[in-house]
Amino acid sequence: MSQKQTQGDIEKAVKEQQEEKQEQKSPSGFRIFWREILKDKLALVSLIFFVLITVVVFGASEILDKAEVTRVDPFNIYQPPSDEFLLGTDQGGRDIFGQLMIGTRNSLAIGFLVTLLSGIIGVVFGVVSGYFGGHIDNALMRVVDFFMVLPFIMLVIVFVAIVPKYSIWTFSLIMTAFLWMGIARLIRSKALQEKELDYAQASRTLGSSHTKIIFKQVLPNITSLIVVTMTLNLAANIGIESGLSFLGFGFPKDTPSLGTLLSYTTNPITLEERWWIWLPAAVLILLLMLSVRNVGEALKRAADARQRRA
Amino acid sequence: MTLLKVNDLKVHFPIRGGILNRKIDAIRAVDGVNFEIRQGETYGLVGESGSGKTTTGKAVMGLNNITDGEIYFENELLNKGSKVNIRRDIQMIFQDPYSSLNPRKRVFDIIAEPIRNYEKLSKQEEKRRVQELLSQVGLSPESILKYPHEFSGGQRQRIGVARAIALKPKLIIMDEPVSALDVSVQAQVLNFMQELQEELNLTYLFISHDLGVVKHMCDRIGIMYNGRYVEEGTKEEIFNDPQHIYTKRLVAAIPDIDPKRRQDNFKFREQVKDEFTNSYNDYFDEDGLAYQLKPITDTHRVALPERG
Repeated sequence: MSQKQTQGDIEKAVKEQQEEKQEQKSPSGFRIFWREILKDKLALVSLIFFVLITVVVFGASEILDKAEVTRVDPFNIYQPPSDEFLLGTDQGGRDIFGQLMIGTRNSLAIGFLVTLLSGIIGVVFGVVSGYFGGHIDNALMRVVDFFMVLPFIMLVIVFVAIVPKYSIWTFSLIMTAFLWMGIARLIRSKALQEKELDYAQASRTLGSSHTKIIFKQVLPNITSLIVVTMTLNLAANIGIESGLSFLGFGFPKDTPSLGTLLSYTTNPITLEERWWIWLPAAVLILLLMLSVRNVGEALKRAADARQRRA
Repeated sequence: MTLLKVNDLKVHFPIRGGILNRKIDAIRAVDGVNFEIRQGETYGLVGESGSGKTTTGKAVMGLNNITDGEIYFENELLNKGSKVNIRRDIQMIFQDPYSSLNPRKRVFDIIAEPIRNYEKLSKQEEKRRVQELLSQVGLSPESILKYPHEFSGGQRQRIGVARAIALKPKLIIMDEPVSALDVSVQAQVLNFMQELQEELNLTYLFISHDLGVVKHMCDRIGIMYNGRYVEEGTKEEIFNDPQHIYTKRLVAAIPDIDPKRRQDNFKFREQVKDEFTNSYNDYFDEDGLAYQLKPITDTHRVALPERG
């Protein structure tokens, strides 16, 4: 009996040891991030919330008919929330709930698109500039400086006025044109550091071309920085879009976004008495930006071993 | 047979400043260096930090632009103006095994990199080559899927060696290959490199500041100071019959393990130091640079001033 027990104990110990060995294998980047998220409950809740909102919003706007939602209905102006209109209606009698769904979808889509586009441009610009250094770096950074001194809002207003066919794509491109410089600068400084390391020089001696070294050796070493910056930029870009739409230089009024819903507050009576029009959008912007930021902060910590909590 | 010939090599780094960031001066990291390396030998390049030995090595490798001079490899001119061609026959082993391996790459990708660049092999052949190379440097062929941080310093340096010999080069430049390693591992790696040299008929350019290691490894030695050669000769000539005061001081600085001779060694070093300070102006010109090398014997050259 006791012998059997020892046998079992030994087997158990061996199994544990094997598991430990598995554990010792260095965890992949994704695993590290996942552990960090699990440890940070706020980030976990934020991630779930963000994914949920994204799925719901994109799903709902597939079902909802945009023409139906944005159709003016003079008999239902300024209806407070009821069974028929879940979040009431605006001055055109349009359903706020439907607008909120489609609007959040549009805002998120813009946020993703702008982040992705500015990310790609910024990373390529920065990594090329930092890797080659010298005159190339000098020239490219002057281009960055040029874009930096341009008055962002003024030019967006001008572009919005002169672009005839105005859609999510054109709006993202206009925003991207003024939002890639930050990433470019950040990536450049990191690439400057990386290229001095021996492994980049070793790659040269082994006959790799500059393009190969940039994209296969240096870039993988700065991915964590790229992911972190782009996540934090996503929150900022959603905010910028809302701000522009609020000012009336984002989407046209018939294309709802979180910003256009907010811009109804320019009417003081709406601001004071018809809370259902703007409050949901305002709360949603706040929550979305906070949750993206929380996830971004967790990512940031996961990328730096000294800051990790898990 | 001469494998590598370096002729009046100069590498100057500009110092910029003043209005419009003009070049106002230059750091003469390497300032007129001549040497030859014969097929199959180990040539030691010795000097203190900042003496230009690593810059010389990198210039031969093609990692630095050179200011002036010629580099011949197998009687073929390597440099066109300031650009030095990178050749598969010349490979380099880096000083720091921690930064010379890309932390994001598996051992397989690290060692396969040169093979992928120069040879078209199928995935299977490539894998077999990498495994062969790994066992050649004494690592288990199973480790191809590991990442560099899973290895110790000595093992990492072996991965660096495997990568360098993957293309069957003729000359390997070793830039202080063991100075980042434990003393216990140093001997292991050095002996292994000597075995490898015989096995593959390699020629080494061995850059180091550690005279004990140089004595163990090298056939001929060049001593550098402030970007110039002060003395060049065979191992015996340098260690038994140093002519230049700087070489004398270097050789005197080699530690001795016999505690009984401690006092004597101390006195000897003091004496050499006094000689160095007193005769500094005889051995170096007014800028603190070494004179042109003059042959003493067929193999021994020393930087001595012209005496009238």
